[in-house]
This record gives sequence, structure tokens and C-alpha cells, in this order.
Amino acid sequence: MTRSRVLGLAALVALVVMPWVLARHQLSLLTDLLIFGLFAMSLDLIMGYTGMVSFGHAAYFGLGAYASALVLLDFAQPVPVALLAGALLAGVVALPVGWFSTRATGIYFAMLTLAFAQLLYTVAYKWRDVTGGSDGIAGVPKTALFWGGPGLASPQAFYFLVAACVVLSLVLSLAVVGSPFGRALQAIRENERRFTSLGRDPRPFKLVVFVLAAVFAGLAGALFAPFRGFASPEVMFWVFSGQGLMMVIIGGIGTLVGPILGAMVFILIQEVLSSYTEHWMIFTGAVFVLIVIFLPGGLVGTARRLGARG
Amino acid sequence: MANLVEQLLNALALAGLLFLVSAGLSLVFGILRVVNFAHGVFYMLGAYLGFTTVALSGWFWPALVVVPPIVGVLGALVESSTLRFIYRRPPIYQLLLTFGLALILEESIRVLYGPTAKGVEPPVQLQGAADLGGLLYPRYRLFLVVLSLVVGAAVWLFLRRTRAGLIIRAVAQNSEMADCLGADVARVRTLVFGAACALAGLGGVAAAPMTTAYLGMGISVIVDAFVVVVIGGLGSIGGSMAGSLIVGAAQTWGAYYLPETAMVIMYAVMGAILIFRPWGLFGEEE
Repeated sequence: MTRSRVLGLAALVALVVMPWVLARHQLSLLTDLLIFGLFAMSLDLIMGYTGMVSFGHAAYFGLGAYASALVLLDFAQPVPVALLAGALLAGVVALPVGWFSTRATGIYFAMLTLAFAQLLYTVAYKWRDVTGGSDGIAGVPKTALFWGGPGLASPQAFYFLVAACVVLSLVLSLAVVGSPFGRALQAIRENERRFTSLGRDPRPFKLVVFVLAAVFAGLAGALFAPFRGFASPEVMFWVFSGQGLMMVIIGGIGTLVGPILGAMVFILIQEVLSSYTEHWMIFTGAVFVLIVIFLPGGLVGTARRLGARG
Repeated sequence: MANLVEQLLNALALAGLLFLVSAGLSLVFGILRVVNFAHGVFYMLGAYLGFTTVALSGWFWPALVVVPPIVGVLGALVESSTLRFIYRRPPIYQLLLTFGLALILEESIRVLYGPTAKGVEPPVQLQGAADLGGLLYPRYRLFLVVLSLVVGAAVWLFLRRTRAGLIIRAVAQNSEMADCLGADVARVRTLVFGAACALAGLGGVAAAPMTTAYLGMGISVIVDAFVVVVIGGLGSIGGSMAGSLIVGAAQTWGAYYLPETAMVIMYAVMGAILIFRPWGLFGEEE
């Protein structure tokens, strides 16, 4: 067994025993961390493996949150239906956005995705009848696992649902990046011109992975809405997209597991700082500037480098 | 007719402000290959410092002269203390670094000035409306049109007709070659970054009497400026001007005819242009 398999197995065991180890509020914090971890991981699919830096990824998280909130509140369907709806809506909206955005590369791509995300944010903010405007949608219930099935209201039950979704998404994503399709993505990242000159068109590949990342982000958003009990325009705001990028960089770009850890570290830093000062954004910004300058590989990248050396 | 002229002037005034911001954004990209996410915050800083200067001196005009150099020096300091170290990295790192800087600056302004918007009085000479052959139009907006035209012409002349402008264009075209030929590339980068921030600061001061100085004005302007440079093409001053006019027009007529969907129109225009020119009107493929 390789070292990464051992670590993966240990992490899985740790996830399973957590509800019996942690106190109630710690478990709910961990659930939160896992949801944001899934969001950061989905961003890493396009950013780390295809070299496309999206500055509007929060939009898909938000779309997932809104779809999930509406399905749960207005139609009282089981949570998995809401998760499907969230992932689906995010994917469907990502299709035209991706079609436009993948025409451009590099910094143009980043700016286009930001512009579209701000557009979606404005829609969520203005379309009061559906989204509740700036108030958002509150009182989203944690319904059942299936029709007539067990409820998900207890923290443990919802934690397991979230953990299962995250593990499943991670396994799926690892399979994707290891597949021939994933190899093609990495080839595009390394040298898009070469890829084109070998007779392949990179755009369909980029579009598919863009939509796939949006689907995972939508899933994270769809988990977020019932967990926190609300969906609001803030989760679609550019700040959140930028924070997603931070999580990826902190954890280690192009590692999938790294961004999940990065999200956890990021949220914990924020929690700690915000308990000391209400102006935590200054310090978050400063921590981030330092990480960008001094730890370009992030946590996982740096650990691997140290491991390879030792 | 009068209505058409009024809308046209509105579009020009908006385009003028957008140009002051996007020209610097585009210039910085041309020289440093960095998309400066913090650029909007320097614009916001200009507006707030403008408010302070007006409050201290009781006059508007000093703000227009004093604030841009302050913002410019701050920008140059920021560049030489952070960005300078990571030019060799992939562009994402520079974008993220400026994102961190934007957070620091924005929150610092909130700490210093508090959450409420700060109104700035336009100078006495520019208050009220001017009579343009039967059409009454706010004097201050006319001033914005003139100011941006003057600044635009000055920037263009500087880049095209001076030795410093020549060096800047050389660095933009091929920084390694310019370095070999004796240009001090590091200094050019710092000065251009500072100058771009000064332009953004000038835009902020000029905008404050019209929009007030408020938190969040930085991001709203940077998103518009991104659309401008995407349409016009990064690194091109002419592109910034064309993009500003297109976005100014789209927003003005959009807000007039279809107020609920004005934003959508701007993006629709951008999308239509990108289908035909993915690198913008004046941009070159990377």
C-alpha cells in the first residue's frame, strides 16, 4: 500500500468516528468545513488540472444553494432531490457561461467568469419574487433522506450525509483526473498550443470540466442551504469566489485533497481571527499575501516537497 | 432630440470615469502582465481621500491635485514591497496577491471612515446646470467629460511623444530585450504601477461628487473596468477608450429603456463582441 492510500484510509476512519469524538458544535463546524472543502475541491478541478482560473465560481455554489432551498421549502422533497436540483441547475447555467468563457484563456477567462458571476449575483439580488432579494431565503428545512425515510435534522445524520457527498465527489474527481480525459486536461494545462497542434480541439474538454466543476460546486451549495437553513446573495458574491481561490492556493493547487484541507484551514483562520477582531478581513488579506509570496505550493505541495527531501 | 443629447452626454460622462480606471488597469497589464484586482480599491481610496481633502480645505480643486499623487505613491510602495517578488510565477499568483491587497485596503478604509457613505460637494463653479441651447445639463458631468478627454490625450501623448513613453512601450513589447538595452525594467514597473494607481485615484476624486464615496465602489467599478478591457483588449489605451464608450453607452441606454436588465445588456454586448474577437477589439492574442 502506498503512503497516500494509508493516509486516505486513515482520513476515512477519522471521518467515520468523528461524531463520537467531537462535541455537538465541533461536529457542526466540521460539517461546515467539509462543505467549503467540496467547493474548493471543485474549483481545483478547473484551476489546478486544466489551468483555467475562474474568478466566479461562487455563482455555482449560490445557484446550488438557491435551487436546494426552493426545492426543500416550496416542495418539501427529500434532501437528495434538492441536492440533485442544485447540482443540475449549476451545471445547466455553467453550460452557456462556459461556452462563452472558454473561448478566452488565461486572464481573459478569469475576467469573463467574474463578469458572468456578478451578473448572476445581480439577478439573485434583484429577482425578489423567487430569491427573496437581499434577505435571501430563510428557514430551509433539513427534510428526510427519502420519501417517508429517516429525518436528517440531527447533527450526526446531516454530518454523515455531507461527509458521504464529499468523499464520493473526491473519489469521482480523482477518477476523472486519472482517466484519459483527465490526462488531456493536464496536457491542456501544460501547453495548450501543443495540444491543438496534435490535432485536438481543447475547447470541448475545457467546457466539460467547467460544467463538471460547477456541478460539484452546486452540490456543495445545495448542502449548504439546508445545513445553514438559508440561501442569500452573499454566497454568490465575488469575495466568496476569491476566497475559493485562496482555499485552493493555501491547500495546494492541483492536488484535490489539498484544497479541501485549505478550505478547512482558511475557515479556521477566519473563525479564530474574527473572535479577536471584527476587522478580520485585514488580517486574512495579510495572511494570504504572505502565503502567496512564501508558500506557492500550499500545504500539500510544501509537505510533499519536504517529504521528498527527507 | 434634447433627450438623445442628454443620454449621449450621460454615456460620455460615465465612459470618462470608466476610462480613468480602465486605462490604468490596461497599462499595468501591458507592462507588468498583472491584472490588478486592487485597482478598484485605489479608485475608492481616491474618493475617500478626496472627501477628506475637501473636508479639511473646504475646497474641491485641491483634492483633484493632491490626492492622485498620494494614491500613486502608495501604489508604488505596494508594488515594490509585494508584487515585485513574484513576477516569475504564473499569472494566477499575481491576481491572488492583488486580491489579498484589495481585502486589506478595503477593510482599512472601512476602519478609518466607517460604514456610511461620504458625500462630496462639487466645486461652486460646477454646481447646478448649464444651458446647452435649451437643454439643461449638470455642469459637473460636462466637466467629467472634459477631464477624461484631457487626461486621455495627455496619457496618449506621453506614451507616444516622450522618451519615457518610448521606454514604457519598449518594456511592454519585450521586457527582456528592453532590459538588455539598458532600460531599468524594475523601476519602469514600479513607476507605471504607481501612475496607474494615481489615475485610478484621480477617477475616484472625480467620481465622488457624483456617486459619493462609499464602500463597495471599488468592486463595482473594477467589474465594469474588467468588462471594458475585455471588450477593448488588455494593454491597449485605445482599446480602453473604445471599451469605455461601449460600456458607458450600453449602461446608459440600458438603464433608460430597460432599467431592470441594464446589467444584462452590458454582458450581452460583451458576449457578442467576444464571439467575433476573443481578444477584444484592440487586443492581441497572448
